Amino acid sequence: MAKKWRADSAGRIKFLIAIMLLAMSVAGIQSAAAGNRLVTVGVYENSPKIFTDESGKPAGVFIDVIENIAQAEGWNLRYVSGTWGEGLDRLKNGEIDLMPDVAYTPAREEIYAFHRTPVLSSWYQVYARKGSGIRSILDLSGKRIVVLERSVQQDAFARLSGGFGLNATIISLADYRATFELVARGEADAAVANRFYGLRHAAQFGLEDTAVMFEPSDLFFAAKKGENGDLLSAIDARLVPMKKDPGSIYHQSLKRWTMEKIAVMLPGWIRIACFLTGGIILFITIWSFLLKRQIKARTRDLSERNEKIVAANRALASSERKYRELLEHANSIILHWTSDGRITFLNEFGQRFFGFSQTEIVGRHVVGTIVPDVESGGRDLKPLMDKICVDPKAFERNVNENIRRNGERVWISWTNKVYFDDNGRIEGILSIGTDITEQRRVEEELRRLNLELEQRVAQRTVDLAAARDRAESADRLKSAFLAVMSHELRTPLNSIIGFTGILLQELAGPLNPEQRKQMGMVQASARHLLALINDVLDISKIEAGQLDLFPTSFDLKSSMEKSIALVTPLAEKKGIDLKLDIAENVDAVTMDQRRLEQVIINLLNNAVKFTEKGYVLLSCRNDNDHYAVSVSDTGIGIRDEAIPALFQPFHQVDNGLTRKHEGTGLGLSISKKLIEMMGGTIKVQSQWGKGSTFTIRLPKGMMNAE
Amino acid sequence: MGDTLLIIEDNAQNLYLMRFLLEKNGFSVTGVESGRAGIDEALRNKPRAILLDIQLPEMDGYTVAAELKKHAELADVPIIAVTSYAMVGDRERVLAAGADGYIEKPINPDTFVAEIRRYL
Repeated sequence: MAKKWRADSAGRIKFLIAIMLLAMSVAGIQSAAAGNRLVTVGVYENSPKIFTDESGKPAGVFIDVIENIAQAEGWNLRYVSGTWGEGLDRLKNGEIDLMPDVAYTPAREEIYAFHRTPVLSSWYQVYARKGSGIRSILDLSGKRIVVLERSVQQDAFARLSGGFGLNATIISLADYRATFELVARGEADAAVANRFYGLRHAAQFGLEDTAVMFEPSDLFFAAKKGENGDLLSAIDARLVPMKKDPGSIYHQSLKRWTMEKIAVMLPGWIRIACFLTGGIILFITIWSFLLKRQIKARTRDLSERNEKIVAANRALASSERKYRELLEHANSIILHWTSDGRITFLNEFGQRFFGFSQTEIVGRHVVGTIVPDVESGGRDLKPLMDKICVDPKAFERNVNENIRRNGERVWISWTNKVYFDDNGRIEGILSIGTDITEQRRVEEELRRLNLELEQRVAQRTVDLAAARDRAESADRLKSAFLAVMSHELRTPLNSIIGFTGILLQELAGPLNPEQRKQMGMVQASARHLLALINDVLDISKIEAGQLDLFPTSFDLKSSMEKSIALVTPLAEKKGIDLKLDIAENVDAVTMDQRRLEQVIINLLNNAVKFTEKGYVLLSCRNDNDHYAVSVSDTGIGIRDEAIPALFQPFHQVDNGLTRKHEGTGLGLSISKKLIEMMGGTIKVQSQWGKGSTFTIRLPKGMMNAE
Repeated sequence: MGDTLLIIEDNAQNLYLMRFLLEKNGFSVTGVESGRAGIDEALRNKPRAILLDIQLPEMDGYTVAAELKKHAELADVPIIAVTSYAMVGDRERVLAAGADGYIEKPINPDTFVAEIRRYL
């Protein structure tokens, strides 16, 4: 923006200059239209000696002088504007008749002709920026000095600096204004100008005169050598009296251009233009300042962004590298292929897996390389692949058989993702595959085993059902058998026991002692057989689940007394004391009386049987929600190691002492089972040689809860 | 009601044994070997009590007990089942069929007569 503005203002200046030039040439033409002899005079800018004024007309001391002479001589003047150099060239080429303000030098005399009396005499002076520190000629050493191109002072300064041994850089420009501008801009350190120009213009460029002043020179109108001699003579003839007369136009001109400030009467529009220009310049300056600030901020912002972008790029590159590594080495097959089935990428894992290198596989069609035409199971894969190509979305998950380079068939579970380009066309298909061959094999094996197991289970179920049926039928058979056997065994026993009893009662006549003894042995054997039959029957019934309990409400205390009474004859025979200890709060219960009594009698019988002296105690305690019934004795006791087997069927504690005791070995087993059926427990505590205590715990509410 | 006890029992030895024990203890006994004969005899002579075996030919003891109980004139004649059936529910079935008592075989000569007396 700022540049554009500068370009615009430069363009505007050029435009103004062009207008000025046009105005000058118009003025020239107007002058040339009157008078007899046409004298063309060069004009260049060296105010106040000669220059173009604000209205575009040539002005200055030389112009005043020549116009005065022209008026007297009847010349028509025509001005040709240009730079100093252009003027000299035009004069040399005969394009103009006179060139003003030319200093005489011997070299110039070779080309130009001069009149005799100089119009002005001038010194050259060095001008520098205020405060530059340049005071003397020596201060110019190493500096950049601007001079007017092809001017006398150019040579003069060269000589001067050469004489002082200065190592100055000499820059030559076409006009004085340009030289001062250069210094003002700081692109040069000092400018050499004639005093006339310097005095008039230094201040406006911020320059000041220095003490360096040199080469006084006389300034003339010059003509081309050998031509216009009459003009030069006429100038001399008119100039001499002018210079002598203080009131002449010559002195008026000098006074006007050097001693006084020109009262410049600027037209209103110019002032407005200047004001506007100033305003515009101020505006531009402020704008430029603001722009600069904006640009600075923007630059800072951009550089920050740039840094961020650089960092982001770095991160992106790093992440891309990571992803690439992931992609290449992931334990998955990563395949990229076109929608017409051509492979464009296969990651390293995939290459190793299938046995192809990247160069071998890229560009080839999936079918025939990694996809077989037909699966082992007979499925034709060609149509499938075509379908995937046409509509990969529909096959986002697909399991199919694949083939390795060595012909090995593998099962791959694929995830197919379709990619579109910016125009929405399918760019490619990304497929990620996992080898599930082993998994499938295991699954297959599992399926096979499951099937086998199912078959086995089915077969076994059939077998078991048959076995169950057989068992059930056997069980029914057993029950029937037991029922029959019970009856059939009891019938002959009835005779044996009955008639033995009758004989022993001597109802049929007296027996002698030997007969009585033998008959007693028969009776004992028969009773033992009966007990055995009864116990076997009970065990069978319990185990067959055919034993039902018939709870009734009865008085526990009297039930116990009855049980004691039944055992009393045996106890008395052995001389054993039978004790009964029933707590006060023992009263009515609801249980299967017959079965409970069976158990208690069994325990009492055992106790009496295994006790040789002392007592047997039946006690009963009311223990919250239980009744605790104990049978204690002072008998032989039971060894610790025998206790676990005590309640097993057909177990009888086997030792020398007990062998003589008859028993079926089923009593405790039946008792335990009956008590448990009633929801109670039976436990034994015993000390070898000291006696045993069997304790039954019965829940009071057992029967009610049934 | 006479003083005679009626025994319905098809096994001759058992009948003999019971008759012997009871007669030795002062009872007069009539013995029959089938249910039908037992019912007829009971209706004819109205015994003091009936001892009934359960396993009988043609008509079992349950049916006989049920038949006997149908006759009002026999309502106060106790029926005592004397049986070798000792399977589950046999006792209950017999009592349900109308028997008043139950004596399990083999009979115990030491206690048999005392048990019979309990029902008289």
